[in-house]
Amino acid sequence: MALSFPFTCPLPNGIHARPASALEEVARNFSADIVLDNQRTGRSANLKSILSIVAAGVCFNDACLIKVSGLDEQVALATLSLFIRTALPHCDDAIEETLVTNGKSHLPPGLRSSGATVHHGTVVVPGIAQGRLVWASGFKMPDGLPTDEVQDVKAEQARIDQGLERLLSWYSQQLVRMPKGIEHGLITAQRAVVRDDEFRQRLFNAVSQTRRTAAGAIVDAERHFSAMLRASDNRLLHERILDIQDVCSHLLTEIYGDINGQRRTALAHDSVVVAELLTPGQFMGLDRRFLKGLVLAQAGTTSHTVILARSFGIPTIVGVEGLAGAVLAGQEVIVDADAGALVTNLTSSARKYYASEMNRLAGREQVLQRYATRPAMLNDGHRVEMGANIATVAEAQAAFAAGAEGIGLFRTEMLFFDRESPPDEAEQFEIYSRVVRAAAGKAVLIRTLDVGGDKPLAYLDLPTEPNPFLGCRAVRMYPQYEPLFRAQVRAIIRASARGTVKLMLPMVATVDEVRWAKRIITEEQARCAREGLPFDPVMPIGAMIEVPAAAFAMDGLSRELDFFSIGSNDLLQYFMAVDRANARVAQLYNPLQPAFLRLVKQVADTAHAHKKWVGLCGEMGGQLAYLPLLVGLNLEEISAPAPAIAGLKAELAQLELKECQQLVAAAVNCATADEVAALLERFLARRSAPLLLPDLILSNVAVTSKEEAIKLAIDQLYIHGRTTQPRMVEEAVWEREASCSTGFGHGFAIPHCKSSAVRINSLVLLKLREPVAWASIDGQPVKVVILLAIREVDGAMEHMKVLSKLARQLMHDEFRAELEGDSSEARISAFLQQTLNA
Amino acid sequence: MKIVAVTACPTGIAHTYMAAEKLEKAAKKLGHVIKVETQGAMGIENKLSQADIDTAAAAILAVDIAVEEAERFDRVRKIQVPVQEALKNAEGIFAKI
Repeated sequence: MALSFPFTCPLPNGIHARPASALEEVARNFSADIVLDNQRTGRSANLKSILSIVAAGVCFNDACLIKVSGLDEQVALATLSLFIRTALPHCDDAIEETLVTNGKSHLPPGLRSSGATVHHGTVVVPGIAQGRLVWASGFKMPDGLPTDEVQDVKAEQARIDQGLERLLSWYSQQLVRMPKGIEHGLITAQRAVVRDDEFRQRLFNAVSQTRRTAAGAIVDAERHFSAMLRASDNRLLHERILDIQDVCSHLLTEIYGDINGQRRTALAHDSVVVAELLTPGQFMGLDRRFLKGLVLAQAGTTSHTVILARSFGIPTIVGVEGLAGAVLAGQEVIVDADAGALVTNLTSSARKYYASEMNRLAGREQVLQRYATRPAMLNDGHRVEMGANIATVAEAQAAFAAGAEGIGLFRTEMLFFDRESPPDEAEQFEIYSRVVRAAAGKAVLIRTLDVGGDKPLAYLDLPTEPNPFLGCRAVRMYPQYEPLFRAQVRAIIRASARGTVKLMLPMVATVDEVRWAKRIITEEQARCAREGLPFDPVMPIGAMIEVPAAAFAMDGLSRELDFFSIGSNDLLQYFMAVDRANARVAQLYNPLQPAFLRLVKQVADTAHAHKKWVGLCGEMGGQLAYLPLLVGLNLEEISAPAPAIAGLKAELAQLELKECQQLVAAAVNCATADEVAALLERFLARRSAPLLLPDLILSNVAVTSKEEAIKLAIDQLYIHGRTTQPRMVEEAVWEREASCSTGFGHGFAIPHCKSSAVRINSLVLLKLREPVAWASIDGQPVKVVILLAIREVDGAMEHMKVLSKLARQLMHDEFRAELEGDSSEARISAFLQQTLNA
Repeated sequence: MKIVAVTACPTGIAHTYMAAEKLEKAAKKLGHVIKVETQGAMGIENKLSQADIDTAAAAILAVDIAVEEAERFDRVRKIQVPVQEALKNAEGIFAKI
């Protein structure tokens, strides 16, 4: 007897590839036939085939019926209905956000008159890259293979089956070796096609019904499924065509050998690869040492190819139409993915422009490098430790090179994923020791295993939970898997002999959990002592504060533990009762919620009352915007991904403890997150960062035009962290120039703007080697350029007062003469400070 | 002569104050008494009272945007010029009075 179960599609993007593969994963565990009827379109799907599910075209709110018939229909129906009610609504995370420029891309003023050819596209990965254009012809089925008139149908079908089997095992092997992440997701999606019943059936039918060879059948299947996806009105599905093409091409290779070999695009020098379409497989085949930029004529913004490009940080634009790629091949070109443009036929002024762009980027690198090697310190000398979040040994080395002053979070889960059995004590000891060695005496905070229902491990046989985030994970599962926990604890204890190690427990909610874990740790330390193994007997033991209950148990926890690290992601998620992957409530996931700040403040204050160390290792720590709040909470440490560290140190150097503490005191009294955001905005505007720095005064500057001079002045703002969007500032300055020339005579110009892209009110002074034409009111060329860049929202009346004084002073001959003279940058800076602050 | 003036430009960062300084310098040179109100990024400064305006021989409005509280100037003779004019030729503006 068939059973059925009705539901309404809860996914705003419909059932596209990802939810379909989740449904298929569940359905394939049962022998019963499972069918999904889309009652809106009247189409039915075999739930064990993702291609078939996808073809049913299920959209948001479509009424659907699941029909199950077969031996295990009862269990199948129960499992599926539970899955559809609880898990399916969450299957739609991670549709990658993409930066999309509005309409036509915007060319920076310095480039508009360069005479180079500009091809516009949509930005998907920002950045600027230069290289020789390499034309990669898109996916094409190879010709020359026999496609028709098969004699032995059975033998040809067997060939296909063997090919599918080999391909499936190849994909499965890839998955075992690969850490969870973007490539893993890609391989999983393609593997689902390889084992898809509909896919196999279509290949088989082509052989038996139309006497096609394996090659012919694959060509037909590629055409059929691509057309099917193309016909859907779901943009996300169009981009899955590339995955079908990859699978078909791999399958041909499995059956006929490497016929595609010569089609692979070889790169031999810095290259910008241009293609109509590029499959993920073709992308992975490119030599990444030489792949500097990517331009795709067609691909959308969510294809796997684009997602891969993003994960490797390759500047990429898409939707560049009408490119004669074959004609342009070999030419030196630029992908300006910040502007959404491919620039070809480079003229000398375009080359010059991009050379100055490269200088700008290199200049910022240099400044950051300077901060990377300095201790993390506020402007007033107050120290905040800058830690790094890592998951592997390699990341530890990179983190210290990037300026980390410790490892603030070593996530050990990575060691446990994607393998047949857990790493034993010896293996873990080896890995922890290598991280400790890389730390060379700096602290390494090792977090014990944080896995559970949402991060399952095959060998642990964790039960599927309806609500894994509230289930048995992390510290909660240790008693049940005590030997596993003991092995890890022993490895950490032994590594503590080799440096400064701290052990941190994840997901702590109660004092009982801590006492239990401490008992195990003490027992293992005693065992190590008996066995004569060296260890640090006073290794600090701490807890992640990520469960709200722990935040309210800080007194008790402080009596048991030595330190705390705030896991802001989970803490916020649990505290606000919000799943941040759920777009419909994600706006609640905001660390500026006053209630959340109050919670964090009370964690820090209580721990400090007990003289305990408090750090923060969530994503909040990696963001410049939140830094004043974290400093004002009196945290001892902030831990962030390695690439963010130098920038955070540079930002810390501009803060003062007292101001930040006042900010926090005001923020916790706000009523709404918007009020906190506004407060923060005003704080940033008012902070003590000086308007003027010797670094922002340049003399003997060689430029040949007003455009170059303005760009160079704005580049200084970028280099010194005063804007992250120099082109927006440039735009604003030119808008002002259009309304009224800023060349006010006597060889002086005072270009200026007010822009939300300015982070810190700034004055840049350039003394030019040769005067440049400026359309000044007295018709004279300009020798001294004073750029004033002001924030859009401003609380800094002090700065405005100084600037108005400067504007007035510039009307006086003596003042201008001082600036024009031969003084050094430092003297000019001192003169300006003195006159303007008088 | 007693003269009042207002300077104002779109961003209120530079020209407003440069023009004010220029007008003050020129007035001094020509032997006039002048009070200049600036309408810039810091809001209205050195504000002209109704009495200031009513007792003045003329009001120079060196502005590229609408003057705030313009009704104050209803009864006085006004000379309106672009801000740039005050920078280029401040003395020339006084000649028009």
